[in-house]
Amino acid sequence: MTQLLLMCRIAGRQAAIPATRVKSVIEIEAITPIPATPDFIVGLTALRSQALTVIDCRRALGFERGTVERGTRAAVVEVEGHLYALAVDEAHDVVEASGEPVPVSGGLGAGWQRAALGMVETALGPAVLIDIEKLVQGPLAEAA
Amino acid sequence: MDELLADFLAETREMLEASGGEIVAWEADPSDRSRLDTIFRFVHTVKGNCGFFDFPRLEKLSHAAEDALAQVRSGNREPDSALVSAVLAVIDRIGDMTDAIEAGEDFPEGGEEELIAALSGEMEEAALAAQPSLPCSDKAAEAASTDEARTPRPQALQRSIRLPVELLDEVMKGVSDMVLARNDLARRLREAGEQPTIDGPFDRLSTILGTVRNSITRMRMQRLEHLFTSLPRLVRDLSNELGKQVMVDFEGGDVELDREMVEMVRDPLTHIIRNAIDHGIEPPGERLKAGKREIGMLKFTARQAGNRISLVVSDDGRGIDVDRLAEKAIASGIHSAGEVAEMTERRKQRLLFKPGLSTADEVSSVSGRGVGMDVVRANLERVGGSIDLSSTPGQGTSFHLNLPLTLSIIAALTVEAGKQLYAIPRSYVEEIVFGNAQSVEFARAGERQLVTFRGRRVPCLSLGEVLGLASNGQIEWERQTLVLIRLATGDIIALGVDRVHDHEDVVVKPIAPAIMNTRLYAGTTLLDDGRPMMLLDLPSIALRHGMVSEGRGMIDETEEDRQAQGDSSTVPVMLFAGLDGRRRAVRLDLVRRIDTIAREAIDIEKERAQVVIDGRILPLVGQEHGELPEENCRLLRLSDGECEIAYIVREVQDAAEIDPELARTKGDNSIEGVALVEGKPVPVLDGHSLFAAHRTPGGADMQLSCRLPADNQWAQTILEPLVSAAGYRLVAADEDADVAILLAEEEPKQAAGARNVIRLRSEPEEAGEDETIYRYDRDALLAALKKARLGRAS
Repeated sequence: MTQLLLMCRIAGRQAAIPATRVKSVIEIEAITPIPATPDFIVGLTALRSQALTVIDCRRALGFERGTVERGTRAAVVEVEGHLYALAVDEAHDVVEASGEPVPVSGGLGAGWQRAALGMVETALGPAVLIDIEKLVQGPLAEAA
Repeated sequence: MDELLADFLAETREMLEASGGEIVAWEADPSDRSRLDTIFRFVHTVKGNCGFFDFPRLEKLSHAAEDALAQVRSGNREPDSALVSAVLAVIDRIGDMTDAIEAGEDFPEGGEEELIAALSGEMEEAALAAQPSLPCSDKAAEAASTDEARTPRPQALQRSIRLPVELLDEVMKGVSDMVLARNDLARRLREAGEQPTIDGPFDRLSTILGTVRNSITRMRMQRLEHLFTSLPRLVRDLSNELGKQVMVDFEGGDVELDREMVEMVRDPLTHIIRNAIDHGIEPPGERLKAGKREIGMLKFTARQAGNRISLVVSDDGRGIDVDRLAEKAIASGIHSAGEVAEMTERRKQRLLFKPGLSTADEVSSVSGRGVGMDVVRANLERVGGSIDLSSTPGQGTSFHLNLPLTLSIIAALTVEAGKQLYAIPRSYVEEIVFGNAQSVEFARAGERQLVTFRGRRVPCLSLGEVLGLASNGQIEWERQTLVLIRLATGDIIALGVDRVHDHEDVVVKPIAPAIMNTRLYAGTTLLDDGRPMMLLDLPSIALRHGMVSEGRGMIDETEEDRQAQGDSSTVPVMLFAGLDGRRRAVRLDLVRRIDTIAREAIDIEKERAQVVIDGRILPLVGQEHGELPEENCRLLRLSDGECEIAYIVREVQDAAEIDPELARTKGDNSIEGVALVEGKPVPVLDGHSLFAAHRTPGGADMQLSCRLPADNQWAQTILEPLVSAAGYRLVAADEDADVAILLAEEEPKQAAGARNVIRLRSEPEEAGEDETIYRYDRDALLAALKKARLGRAS
């Protein structure tokens, strides 16, 4: 069975998020920062009277902080009952995967490897399939 | 109907329905063991419940069936078809009897003996079938008789249904979300400006939503009775075990409490009961010697006051042995002997709430197993409740529990740090002081900032620093507002914030684990404008900063101070500036929350002033003091527990403690008196007269009508507002009225068509033989109006 993927761009690379997990794609409105949280957590934003935790996907993968601000695109997902907004560089269409995710020999690179389920082929070319559970734990989870 | 009985009936019916299939299956294959077990359980449960409710006939039947089935289960009897039929007949009879009980009818006498005889196998199946008085001896008869028995009262049967609690919680959550979504929509509508075609339906929606929310909250309520019913058994078992005799008495079982809250108090209550029976109540011999009744008394009293419940558990035992408690405290190193010597009696009693203290010399199996009253107290405080005790040696001990009605909504204080808002649970907040106030004095010990407030040194913690927004050195303490926080351990810390905003009731939602890991936040909530706001986890913050003492330290001085303060019993008030800029105060208990609303939401016409908040129309007060602000208006929402009044102010200033002995004023009804705050006189609003004058009377059809003297200037301007405020509808001179108010000089015939007449005289002194009231004697006038109202009600 091929799965549907939300294609997006994170840290300049093509990435895919399983579309069945994505509740919606939003443009982030006002963000309430939360002091003293790990820096991949940008803050909280409200969507239809629910608070979403905004995740900076760049930072969560171990890259430099991206610019997450009003208008940034984000995919809304639910993990263990909590809602997250995964802020990405760009969000594109939903496409069908051409095959199962496969590991790439030599790995995907430090940051990607940890939060990826592998590489997946699509009509738009290869993309890194994001492991949402790992992503929302942030880059520090490994050290902990 | 008694709620417990309703539960019993519902349970029985549910089991009847569930076992219906089993019965048929069992009939088909009497050797099926699992079916047999199900049916056995059913009759067994019914039997148990019957004993409880005193239904001897039902009990006898189910008992007989249980016996017969037990024989089959133990293999002493073969399940033949005669037995199956007999059991089925009994079960159907149970169903019929249950229906009769529910409908409040008497079930026709007789028939049981035959059924029981059939069970014991003394009667042949044929004879059983031939018995006309026995319903359902075969399938056809069963159908006929049950139809007959049930059809006349199908409506009466469905008075209650049982629902899984999860479903209720889900619905409640949905409604809470709906309220938030409504608030969001309301804000967008406000921004979009007035749109009559949308605003009307939206207001209606808001009102409906409010009603639904109320009903759902009620659905989750449970009578305390549910908790109480489980206690006599516990008390009985414990007292037997300990060789004591204890009687239980309940009062206020009809007080309703959020179901979750009922569960939260179950453990603390159990613990208190254990303590009371184990340590409090003496063995019978000792009691007799002390001149008491042999049987000890344990009394539970519950009362509702506003949105709090007070629950008092008192025993008539020996009271708390204060000296032994003190010895223990010294022995375990919690206090020095010197410290204890200086303690007041009440403070020594409160040592009971300290960790690691128990008055029992030996650890018994019942209590004193290491879980102390400190845990009880911490658990109660965690849900926003509190506990206190009072004890008289030789006469007994009372525990006073104070609980909020519900868990999902908490009262919070919103504070600002680094241009952002945070919420603090109100239950922790002891006091709010300004860093620049006269009474505040700062000191430093090493790097630790201390504040001396009313004679105590309290460590300061800046919220900015806690959140990593500012470093300790940069903080200008004089510019901060200090929120004095009392933790469950008794420690007090001063949390410095940039500003204190509102009191608000907030719906708390859980937060993502990554945020939880910071150990700074307990949850999140949405502000009215839709922005998220974090709820601070104060105990954890204090713990991280090493501000939780382990039994000794600053806590002792502060507790003493608090005690001293408690004795002088100051009253918390909120200070505000009215529209005229004058400073006034209102008792904090009255303030439900502070709101900011748009000018358009206010409607003023002559004496009638109203404001629309959250889809409700509230009476507006305070607008007489001056011009309304151009745009946003600040409102204090005052509540007497039943109805609300909005008091418009220019500015909300501060909270303060005042001496309840106010300088009384004459003439001004709206003012309770004048208090001294920071050396300046501040008038305190009189909540009583405020609500007396402005509480919304019931609907028009409920209202009594009143006729005033016609064409009289005084009556129209002075009397009319008073009478309408008292809940009367004014009618024209020629209409019938419940009450007619006449002036003494008017002809008595004017009173025609009125059920009550009140006559007013213009002189203070009584004149003439008629019963009259001086026209400015407000109390007498109101009393007369009230009398008229009561007269109709009776």
